[in-house]
Amino acid sequence: MQKNLNRLFSLLIKLLTALSVLMLAFVIFFIVKEALPLFEEVSLKEFLFGQRWMPIAYTGETSFGIFNFIMATLYVSLIAMVISVAVGVGTALFLVFCTTERVRSLFLPAIDLLAGIPSVIYGFIGITVVVKLFIRAGVHTGSCVLAASIVLAVMLLPYLVSSCSETILKMKERYLPAAQAMGVSRWYAAATLILPASWKNILLSMILAVGRAMGETMAVMMVMGNANLFPRLLGKSETIASVIALEMGTAVVDSPHYHALYAAGMVLMVLLFVINVSINLIRAKLLEQGR
Amino acid sequence: MKGKLTKLWAVCSMLIAASLILFLFGYVFVQGAGSISWEFLTQPPRGAVLGMEGGIFPAIVGSLWFTATALVLGGIPAVAVALYLEFYCRSKKMAAFVRLVMQCISGIPSIVLGLFAYSFLVKSLGWGRCVLSAGAALAIMILPFIEVRAEKAFQEVPPQMIQASYHLGCSRFYTIQKIVLPYCSGELVSALILGGCYAMGATAPLIFTGAVAYAASPTSLFAPAMALPLHLYLLVAQGSTSLKTAYGTAFVMMVLILVSNVLATLYARRRHKKWRNG
Repeated sequence: MQKNLNRLFSLLIKLLTALSVLMLAFVIFFIVKEALPLFEEVSLKEFLFGQRWMPIAYTGETSFGIFNFIMATLYVSLIAMVISVAVGVGTALFLVFCTTERVRSLFLPAIDLLAGIPSVIYGFIGITVVVKLFIRAGVHTGSCVLAASIVLAVMLLPYLVSSCSETILKMKERYLPAAQAMGVSRWYAAATLILPASWKNILLSMILAVGRAMGETMAVMMVMGNANLFPRLLGKSETIASVIALEMGTAVVDSPHYHALYAAGMVLMVLLFVINVSINLIRAKLLEQGR
Repeated sequence: MKGKLTKLWAVCSMLIAASLILFLFGYVFVQGAGSISWEFLTQPPRGAVLGMEGGIFPAIVGSLWFTATALVLGGIPAVAVALYLEFYCRSKKMAAFVRLVMQCISGIPSIVLGLFAYSFLVKSLGWGRCVLSAGAALAIMILPFIEVRAEKAFQEVPPQMIQASYHLGCSRFYTIQKIVLPYCSGELVSALILGGCYAMGATAPLIFTGAVAYAASPTSLFAPAMALPLHLYLLVAQGSTSLKTAYGTAFVMMVLILVSNVLATLYARRRHKKWRNG
């Protein structure tokens, strides 16, 4: 009885694992399957580098070019990451150098709560607070790439703070005692020794953060204005994820428009796979160096 | 000089981060508290523009349905994968492969999961827009999220306990059932709760797979339903007419998430005490 149960359980675990792994193949298969018909009408080059997105032929011909969307996705994620790193690394430094273990164990869960807030709520606060501030500052309608980046930066903050404070703490324990024994002040050691020693790991967290930012839909969509324009800091723009979320509901099934949205999703997915695989490679290299 | 500048940077960042936390929670709670009433929590939405008046009861129930479906469909495989990696997988290459796949799944943007669920479940399988289709999309989203946390929990079980059990002749199943799962139950439950919160807050995978602007509380997995996050989005998209109910909806979501988080932490701590201090 026990033996059979044991065998059954082991089989079940393996089956469920195989299913979970196959899930990825399934997702890729269905996205690619729905995306491919588009390329009978539009060439890949036209799709990736075209700037005209006219999914329905109201006037003139349809045209599917997602260059602006791709650039907007990268642009908004990179700016968000830069803002977030500036604050996140600083916060991590403060937590490591100015607080005790006890304070850290209270503050880190508190900042983790930020990660639990749903993205619609970020978008909502973005509209009611950040966009209003931009209107007051004189930006037309307030929705712009910078506003979206700021909202995204807040969303990335918890990940950056927790991973950076872990790295910096490790480096502090390794180098600070020796530095202080030689008469170097704490903060000078932080600036010249501990931060440079941590930067590789921080870089890794930064790439991870960009990946997260690129997949974000709702918060960005709600504050970015959604217009097919090349991204400028104070101008409106639209990311790949927003195009899909906004237009999927109105696209006729199996029309070129529908396939184009899947193709856009495929591009986004490929971008994120590249990021994830490169993170893995970099991490393996870092571990090797650490040894 | 360099040292002082760094210190200044650290202090300023900390001030920004701390005030952000206070502001985000404070803002939603202060603005939202006014819209909360018994009617708001128990009535369906009403009004000339839907949602201007009335409540959000069907959205709350709908969100619970979506979350429960996602937890059942995503939580079980997630724990299974974690068990596999920790106790069944003997080849390092295989483990590395499974981990890479998990990481890639976690990297799929949630909107793309929505596209997948639409093409496969809604269209090919003919389930239509329903709780089950959307729940499956959410399940894939939270699978790696729960898996990572479960694996971490399993790694913390002292190896001598597991070895002792094996040496006594206990099977792997018996060891997992009697030692591993009870030892980690705190972390496991909190991983599931956090995964549930993640699923509850997600909008993008629901938009075209199962959540709708208005529906009665669902009674079957094959019916579409309302969901809190989508409801909030639609209220905001309507402009300023529904702002009051929007604040209320945000408030309810925040409270649900905050309470679940606190419960998860408390439960994990209590289980910890029971097992780790004798």
